[in-house]
Amino acid sequence: MAYDELFNPTEEHRMLREMVADFTANEVEPQAAEFDAKGVLNVPLFRQLGELGLLGITVPEEDGGAGLDAVAAVIVHHELSKSDPGFCLAYLAHSMLFVNNFAQSANAEQKARVLPKVISGEWIGGMGMTEPGAGTDVIGMTTTAVLDGEHYVMNGTKTYITNGCEGFCFLVYAKVDGRITTFLVDRDCPGFTTSHHIDKLGMRGSTMSELIFEDCRVPVANVIGEVGGGLTHMMRNLELERLTLAAMSVGIADRCVEIMVRHGQERVAFGTPINRFGQIQRYIADGYAATEAAKCLTYNVAKDVGPHNRNRIGSDAAKLFAAPVGKNVADWAMQVMGGSGYCREYPVERLWRDAKLLEIGGGTLESHQKNLTKDLSRLAPVT
Amino acid sequence: MNIGVCAKISPHADARIKIKSDGSGVDTKGEKLVVGDYDEYAVEEAIRTKEAHKGAVTAFTVGATSDEKLVRSGALALGVDKAVLISDDAAVNAGPLGTAKLLAAAIKEAGCEIVFTGKAATDDGNSQVSAMIAELLGWAQVSQVTKFAIEGTSFTATRAMDAGVLQIVSGSLPVVITCEDGLNDPRYPKLPDIMKAKRKPLSKIGAGDLGLADVAATSSESNFAPPPPRPASRIIEGDAASAAQELVRLLREEAKVI
Repeated sequence: MAYDELFNPTEEHRMLREMVADFTANEVEPQAAEFDAKGVLNVPLFRQLGELGLLGITVPEEDGGAGLDAVAAVIVHHELSKSDPGFCLAYLAHSMLFVNNFAQSANAEQKARVLPKVISGEWIGGMGMTEPGAGTDVIGMTTTAVLDGEHYVMNGTKTYITNGCEGFCFLVYAKVDGRITTFLVDRDCPGFTTSHHIDKLGMRGSTMSELIFEDCRVPVANVIGEVGGGLTHMMRNLELERLTLAAMSVGIADRCVEIMVRHGQERVAFGTPINRFGQIQRYIADGYAATEAAKCLTYNVAKDVGPHNRNRIGSDAAKLFAAPVGKNVADWAMQVMGGSGYCREYPVERLWRDAKLLEIGGGTLESHQKNLTKDLSRLAPVT
Repeated sequence: MNIGVCAKISPHADARIKIKSDGSGVDTKGEKLVVGDYDEYAVEEAIRTKEAHKGAVTAFTVGATSDEKLVRSGALALGVDKAVLISDDAAVNAGPLGTAKLLAAAIKEAGCEIVFTGKAATDDGNSQVSAMIAELLGWAQVSQVTKFAIEGTSFTATRAMDAGVLQIVSGSLPVVITCEDGLNDPRYPKLPDIMKAKRKPLSKIGAGDLGLADVAATSSESNFAPPPPRPASRIIEGDAASAAQELVRLLREEAKVI
């Protein structure tokens, strides 16, 4: 029972999980392989997430969202990623990186102007932090914005931006007099363009491009929060981002365990189902145990992540632990399936490709190790 | 419009059916329970009728007290406005006629003008209750409906008959509409509706509250047994012409089906 309370703490969480699981099985799973092969986002399917009320899941009810917590966000990412982590990544970039961050930091006028359109899915959003010369070292960003009358003039390039191709609006971090500031940049801002689609190994159900700012004129009314407030927005939102990325790894691992268990029973070799062989049992059992551990950690941390709770230790730990679990369990599932696991006919090779991104995006494993060491040392200073 | 819908809580269609060790019935312990498949069409049609003609939808369920959360997730979270759960010991042990009496009394008390039901429950598949409700209320009933429309106080329903034949039935409210696969495409619950489901009214009542004393089943069920295991498949070797000949011979001489 305690197990269930961790994953579905309220009836609303349980209903949300059942709804997303049904939607995933019926609508997301059948299209996953096709959009992976094409390398594009299924925009009509994405807009269905808006109809279901999922795009503003963490936005307060008074702002038109569902007003739900980090556990609910984890549930959606967990369930969607059982079928299509690539599609789920587009959801994450929109709902967590844009909508959640924007709703927490924007003023009333900005919220009234933008939230209805991004919660419905009419506008697809994303977030621009990484630059060609600055990834984990985010403070080293070189994109600048200079005040010129009623506009800021922005110059620079952001790269590896999920939803770059389909997105209409982006939260962009740029330095104003050396201070990192958050801007809302949309396609109506002169001087803003996006590059070609950047092709990638996995997560191909979502797209990625550069955001290019060439004397881009961003209205002063599009500054989010205070000038210099960008770092706070960024750090606050990174916790939910990392947590939901961890949930995606859990979804991948869950699906791969299910595939291994079934295949182990059905596939016969040397006259016996292959799950009678100790080598296969090790993959299945170790995969299950690792998945459950990652799941418990992720949901446990989710209880303490929110707009008013800082839990960088928890969210870094969850992603640091869960991301390799997703990758390893996908690898083991492929090993159990042998040649069929390597073929595009089955979902394992796609999940295997998707899983790797989670060791890189939203913070590399090494950045989590750096943060954890720093934060844990700060908690236990040597006097 | 005052709309009713009957929604029975049954094991999920994918559930692995287990027979109780004494053969007295099906053991649903540990199985995922949901609003039955055909009843899902009924819930959807009731909500669509409300959306087209305004009014409110009440769900009626005869079942266990623990069915409350399933009625909330399977009806109220989809857009049904309120629910009546008839759940005392008498209700739980009612047979088809007793269940129909309970539902008819609750529907009458609620003042419904139209009631949607599924064509059969997912578990026992009796297909008796809908017709009995109509009879007890003195209403018309249209069964196996695959298309439905209301105009004013009149309705038009398309029935799926055998061999692909369709029958169009017109009439006046009140009516019991028994929903068939294909009538509609049931929606997913929307998150705002999920959030509202907990706050929607759900009254738990018993047979006594409806003035019904005797709703006990008039028949009993016993000796449940799983179907015999399916015999192993056979592969007929050889070229197409001789394999077809052999297949026909086996169907005629061994299976005796042609």
